[in-house]
Amino acid sequence: MTEVGPGDPALELRGLVKEFRGRRVVHALTLAVPRGSLFGLVGPNGAGKTTTLSMATGLLRPDGGTARVLGHDVWADPAAAKAAMGVAPDGMRLFEQLSGRELLLYVGALRRMPVDVTAARAAELLAVLDLAEDASTVVADYSAGMVKKISLAAALIHAPRLLVLDEPFEAVDPVSGQTIRTILRRYVASGGTVVMSSHVMELVEGLCDRVAVIAGGRVLAEDTIGGLTRGGSLHDRFLELVGATDSAGEGLTWLG
Amino acid sequence: MVGLIVRLRFAMWRTAMSRSPLHLVSSIVGALAAIGVLALLGPGLILLAGQPVRITALTVPLFAVITLMWGVLSLIATGVDSILDPARFAVLPLRASELARGLLAAACTGIPALMLAGLALAQTGSWLGHPAAVPAALLGGVLGLLTAILFSRAVTSALAAVMTTRAGRVLGAVVVSLVTLLPLGLNLLLTTGSLAADLSSFDATRSATVASWTPVGWAWALPFDVSTGRWGAAAVHLALALLLIGALWVVWVRRLDRTLTSPLTSAGGQRIGHGRLLPAVLGTSPTATVAARRIRAWYRDSRLVGIALRTAVLPVFFVAQAVLTGMPGLAGVGVVTLAVFAGLTLMNDLAFDGPAWWLHVAVGVRGWEDRLGRALASAVVFGPVVLLTYAVSVAIGVIGRPVPWLTVIVVAFLASLGLAVAVGAVLPGTAPRTGGNPFAATSGGAAQGCLTAIVSFVGPVVLTLPVAVAAAVTAGSVPGRWLTLALGTAYGLGLLALGVILGGRRLDRRSPEVLGQLAHAQL
Ligand SMILES: Nc1ncnc2c1ncn2[C@@H]1O[C@H](COP(=O)(O)OP(=O)(O)OP(=O)(O)O)[C@@H](O)[C@H]1O
Ligand SMILES: [Mg+2]
Repeated sequence: MTEVGPGDPALELRGLVKEFRGRRVVHALTLAVPRGSLFGLVGPNGAGKTTTLSMATGLLRPDGGTARVLGHDVWADPAAAKAAMGVAPDGMRLFEQLSGRELLLYVGALRRMPVDVTAARAAELLAVLDLAEDASTVVADYSAGMVKKISLAAALIHAPRLLVLDEPFEAVDPVSGQTIRTILRRYVASGGTVVMSSHVMELVEGLCDRVAVIAGGRVLAEDTIGGLTRGGSLHDRFLELVGATDSAGEGLTWLG
Repeated sequence: MVGLIVRLRFAMWRTAMSRSPLHLVSSIVGALAAIGVLALLGPGLILLAGQPVRITALTVPLFAVITLMWGVLSLIATGVDSILDPARFAVLPLRASELARGLLAAACTGIPALMLAGLALAQTGSWLGHPAAVPAALLGGVLGLLTAILFSRAVTSALAAVMTTRAGRVLGAVVVSLVTLLPLGLNLLLTTGSLAADLSSFDATRSATVASWTPVGWAWALPFDVSTGRWGAAAVHLALALLLIGALWVVWVRRLDRTLTSPLTSAGGQRIGHGRLLPAVLGTSPTATVAARRIRAWYRDSRLVGIALRTAVLPVFFVAQAVLTGMPGLAGVGVVTLAVFAGLTLMNDLAFDGPAWWLHVAVGVRGWEDRLGRALASAVVFGPVVLLTYAVSVAIGVIGRPVPWLTVIVVAFLASLGLAVAVGAVLPGTAPRTGGNPFAATSGGAAQGCLTAIVSFVGPVVLTLPVAVAAAVTAGSVPGRWLTLALGTAYGLGLLALGVILGGRRLDRRSPEVLGQLAHAQL
């Protein structure tokens, strides 16, 4: 068991490296997410956001570096780290034979929560996320947005101190999106920490406290929203940072 | 178009092999097995050339059965290349008949089809002694090959259509499970009627005539008809074989057309009750929770329904055979086989979860909890089936000595469970995709490789043998029997515990790597 100080960041990545078949996709990535912040991770497709978050949550073994969750080393003391966080990865399938409610009860039981507590929380989460009507439908029959929402509920059920969400707003309708924003803001206000990736700059700008821009497996910039945008929009700053070229301007003329 | 699809198939095959050594190994093993079959059967077939027609006629029933089995096997084995799933072509502007031609060509370049082609060629060799029949044998071989391949395509695609609803999937699983037991049924018939093995008096003419009038035998009957000078029959068989090929082609193209225009298969609006029974019985520990989910899967998941049915129907044949032949050991062996199969179903349990298993990793489920939960589920599902089969066999008196057999059965079951939970954590194997064709791959799986197969065959035998010997030795004394049962059960439980611990430790240490394996576990 590692000593856990109150000053430890909620999530601390140090020198994370990942190679896929000899190709390095995350280059000694270092990042600290302070407690009580809503942290946005943005970057172009293939930047390494999912890879980084997977290494931070114990789903993918890094080739180098460390990841600490609230002071617990994810790879040396996985039990403590995993107990402290809730994870909703992107594009990972769920147990499709279970209904939405069963999935939440399943996660609760695996996390050794009392059944009545899990059941009450599950009912509440399903109602808030507008899934109550489909609580008894198997997850296999859920739409893309419903899958996103039930994954979020599964990550929330044990009231973790750190939430790691990979593109939580993808495919979610505006009403549920607003609900999720409210939930996340309230969660952070009560001392929780959220790390989320997203491609929607306006959303990150309006919702997050801090942002890190990642491209090519490296952190290009990391600051508060205000510090990063310096009065401009996150959208423009992002394009500027990742070096957007107007490549669609000249090519594809045959398309009309 | 045809060339493009064939090239696509080879490109995907190459990628699959370069990505996973297991794919490579299984492809090599598959090729070696095909060469082995050819090396065994081919010369035998060609040797028939020196024999009179009554013996050479053997090719007709032989190849009729092969053609039939081709269709049946394509349902259970990876007969249909999931690599070239027609639904994947749905977004392209392709006509079904074009696609069918391409897929047919791609199928013909596969190892199984090449093997069948080799056998068909050897079949032509069988008729070398009757020069007039050789061209007929060649033509029959080509038509027979087409029949077999189109038959398997038509059957699987028609079945896949039934499988788009949940009820249909379960129904299909039942039908196919029973159909795949056909060879066992044939075996049963053969052993009851004694088979003439004496070559001098052997006469295949009658069975050849019978086989020649079945759809799977029409094409293969051509050389037989010609060599016996029955030109009328030959003409009829040729016409029928061509008609059959045409009909199968039409059925297949129709199904492809349907797949191309409505590729999305529905999982079928399944709603689930509250499911309070299992937690009440098993408790709510993580182990019990995993067990409850896996138990539910055995009746909710159509992929598993088929496996459960096949496993459960298997011993019925052994018992029936024991009753028919009066051989006392057979029923016991049947129940032991059931126990081993039931235990080994756990081998690729992780593959059935597939990438969804990330949840266990993210939550931090301990490896032993995962392993024990699954073992518990299999024990709850199959334990009663095994014991019931045993009890019935004892009741109708086909098992020789009840207690020693019970000892062997219990140990075989526990040892197989232990073996499966340990090996399954290292080699999670493959499983069909959810909502896909439940027969795309069964527990054998293509990429599973020979390793798992060897472990599955040898492991239970090695682990059970000491107890079987002890049971046989102590069978004479009453206290000895019961003592062996008690000790054997303890030994079996010990093996299971060992499997849970070793498998669990592997999952604890290598869970991200296992998750990586599972990303490609569903075909
Ligand atoms: N299992 C894998 N095998 C090989 N390469 C991989 C694997 N997973 C990711 N990669 C590669 O790693 C790089 C980063 O991928 P990652 O999924 O982390 O990107 P991302 O930032 O999440 O992108 P997106 O915004 O599209 O979700 C990509 O170049 C991808 O090709
Ligand atoms: Mg991603």
